Amino acid sequence: MSKIFITGIGVISAIGNSVAENHEALKAGVCGIKKELDLFPSKYKGLMPFGQVPISNESLQNKLQVKEPGVTRTSMLALHAFNEAVRCSGITADDISSPETALIGANTVGGMCLTDELYHDANTSEAGSEYTHSYDCASVNLFLQKHNKMQGVINTINTACSSSANAIMYGAMLMQHGFAKRAIVGGTDSLAKFTINGFNALHILSSDLCTPFDESRKGLNLGEGAAFLVLEKEEDLNGKKVYAELTGYCNANDAYHPSSLSDEGDGPYLAMQGALKIADLTADKIDFINAHGTATENNDEVESRAMVRLFGTPPVFASTKGNIGHTLGAAGAIEAVYSILSLLNQEVYPSLHFKNAISSTGLIPVLEYKQMPVNHVMSNSFGFGGNCSSLIFSKA
Amino acid sequence: MYIHKIYCISPQQDPLQADIECINEPVDKKLLAVEPSYEHIPPGVLRRMGKSIRMGVGTALPLLDKINPVDGIIIGSANAGLDECVKFLIQIVDYDEGQLTPGNFVQSTGNVIAGQLGLISKNKGYNITHMHQGLAFENAVIDAIMQLNTNPAHSYLLGGVDEISPFHYNIETLNGAYKKEDISNKEIYQSNTPGCLPGEGAAMFVVSADKDAAIAKIKAIQTIHTDDVELVKQQLQLFLEKNNQDSDEIDLFISGENGDTRTLPFYEACETLLNTDTTVLRFKHLCGEYATASAIGLWYACQILQTQEIPPHLFKKNQQKKRTGIF
Repeated sequence: MSKIFITGIGVISAIGNSVAENHEALKAGVCGIKKELDLFPSKYKGLMPFGQVPISNESLQNKLQVKEPGVTRTSMLALHAFNEAVRCSGITADDISSPETALIGANTVGGMCLTDELYHDANTSEAGSEYTHSYDCASVNLFLQKHNKMQGVINTINTACSSSANAIMYGAMLMQHGFAKRAIVGGTDSLAKFTINGFNALHILSSDLCTPFDESRKGLNLGEGAAFLVLEKEEDLNGKKVYAELTGYCNANDAYHPSSLSDEGDGPYLAMQGALKIADLTADKIDFINAHGTATENNDEVESRAMVRLFGTPPVFASTKGNIGHTLGAAGAIEAVYSILSLLNQEVYPSLHFKNAISSTGLIPVLEYKQMPVNHVMSNSFGFGGNCSSLIFSKA
Repeated sequence: MYIHKIYCISPQQDPLQADIECINEPVDKKLLAVEPSYEHIPPGVLRRMGKSIRMGVGTALPLLDKINPVDGIIIGSANAGLDECVKFLIQIVDYDEGQLTPGNFVQSTGNVIAGQLGLISKNKGYNITHMHQGLAFENAVIDAIMQLNTNPAHSYLLGGVDEISPFHYNIETLNGAYKKEDISNKEIYQSNTPGCLPGEGAAMFVVSADKDAAIAKIKAIQTIHTDDVELVKQQLQLFLEKNNQDSDEIDLFISGENGDTRTLPFYEACETLLNTDTTVLRFKHLCGEYATASAIGLWYACQILQTQEIPPHLFKKNQQKKRTGIF
């Protein structure tokens, strides 16, 4: 099997429009979650905090030179991160449009950020809006494909909140099994009235800043953003700069409940264990865990328990949900970029808003920025439908 | 990759109905699936399932063996959950973001079929949903091949499912996807008009690397997404050169032709690359068109390989050629 390296990264989130801006904000412990919501009218505006990317749709259109109608915010956030990742990797336009370059993207809301337009188009028999081709999840990647004249394997993956971890895994596998020479992989999601009301109906949205792994956590904050990674094989590197190696990945199912994890956390446990096996690492070799840590009562307790079950004493861990909120289908990819930043800079970033440890496990996330040797990082993503995935990135 | 078990739900009572006079026709311009009584699904659970979940779970459960469980679940579905999405959206609008019930929201996630199957069959293995429109099932096939290359002792449930939901139908109608005229599926290939006839269904397979007693082998797969006919031709040519060195090997070409004049040139271009005596079949008059109809196309291929019988109304070209059963 070829070794898979990350040669380019791109990210946009509530704490920055680029890898460099995100990096500075993580180091400084910046929280981008605010009681502001400018994207669409909603009852929850001003009442609940959101991790909104502070750029309007018009600015994104101008910045990205998007001139065609029907392009959603979800797609523009994706293009923003995609552009940075390919610029960073130095791959050429010819490389991107080669039939050997795969595009694997993930998202969960697609064009449903346009809640009111979709409501109209699903029910009208007269003229539809400009967005009738843009609602489904695949529309995002079709836009990226067309924009970049791509011809290789293209796919859209949806495993709810673990979607983009699986996009990264699928891209790597395509390369290892001869379906692609390189892959551009990632995820995106934008804030939507749809998800705000959905998570609120489940009573897992917090009206205050989310507090991952805190004993009195009250739920998650929704965020938005996108991240993309360029994956290339060891034999194709020709001495170019690499950011990290993708050494482990695993997808497992908790098979317990449509929207919550089992007490035992079999899904998270199996995903983490499987990723170690693929990476051929023992648990003690993991220096840092970028936890899923959504700050829901269910996730953080189960994830903590699964970490204890696998690691005994878990390594240093943190959640970045307190910086940017839960970005759903983008989370796995954004946190992959954050994990890679830890490896590149030999440092870990503070997990925000934590006060007291969960009593049953007593686990405390990393609370201060610190430099330390980081050789292997595990990144967890768990989603509805019991879909649990873990990735391992290693120092290149 | 070898296919060991197959099952499907389609708009036909008998999915490969021999007599064209007996095939179900569209109702209100839609070829709706003939759903079974779903005796494998507990009634309380069944009541809460949307149609695509019901069809997906109902097609999969008869294949899932408690003694030899599969090691993972790989589903392709372009629009699973979309109907539930719009139902939840209607709640949001009708109740002005008030106190909403989360049932529709939980069922609206695209991975709902694979998730439900994992839950019902207590399967903790690999579980994934590919949602890339017309290539959703093809990506699921590629995924299964890669999983089996990595884990040759495993077996996987592989499937494709999509429904005609009222809302998706409405949006696709606005997009001009469907035929405007009322037309029988028996005359679909002679229509000479743009648009297809919408259909729905589910097809599921148990696949493994074990060739003993297999129904069929998937030897190779390639996908391309383009609106350039020449590029399709070029890629298919390369695919055939790579995987079919003995050009006599292909007896049957199962075409996705669907009566839409806009896509016909793509299928015709593919036919030009085949031997002149290769038999060409069409099946979309039976199941209609939907994003994962290729899954039922694969079901037809398996069924034909198994029974060595082809209903006459499927033939487009070379009905008389002696068939050897190698597809």
